[in-house]
Amino acid sequence: MPGHFANLVVYSGIIATFFSVLTRRDRREQLRFGGLVWLSMVGGVLLLAYLMLPFPR
Amino acid sequence: MTETRPVAGRTAVALVVGWLVPGAGHAILGRVRRGALFFLLIMGSFGLGLAEEGRLALYSPREGFLTGLQLVANLGVGPADLFARMSVYGEAAYALPDQSDASHRPRVDKFRERQRSAVSAYGTAYLWSAGLMNLLLLMDVWDIANRRKD
Repeated sequence: MPGHFANLVVYSGIIATFFSVLTRRDRREQLRFGGLVWLSMVGGVLLLAYLMLPFPR
Repeated sequence: MTETRPVAGRTAVALVVGWLVPGAGHAILGRVRRGALFFLLIMGSFGLGLAEEGRLALYSPREGFLTGLQLVANLGVGPADLFARMSVYGEAAYALPDQSDASHRPRVDKFRERQRSAVSAYGTAYLWSAGLMNLLLLMDVWDIANRRKD
């Protein structure tokens, strides 16, 4: 798979879908919970990357 | 007593089948669509892990605890892990061989080679997640079979 970001998006998608179907029964709740988990994972990583900008290797 | 035995039997069958084929435990408990989706997610994650050269953990006595946990995460996905090991290592390998045993050198080389790949960390995350998701599914199967969850 090309690139770090594509892996982040796909991996977060798999995990978010899995936990939303595992823990929620109502379709609307699954969508809301899955979306929240996906956004938290992708957004969290992007935020962390932004905070690390001043500290390049 | 008469009620308990069928439930226990059904639970055991669902757990074994669920480990053998991810999602199948849900399917035989009547949650076919949910089981099919879980199968796609877990095998998709497993396939991506193999495609991205994820590490198939080998137990090493020097780091027994950590490599043991890695092995559990890999084994969670069921026999698919065995087939992957046969394909990658050429044998059903689960432990790093003794240093003095030269006949298993190719297994160590293959393990190190995958470790060095630029995408191996991602692949390993996919592989471990697939196994751990299936172990979580087995707990869910247990709850459904014992009517603690619908």
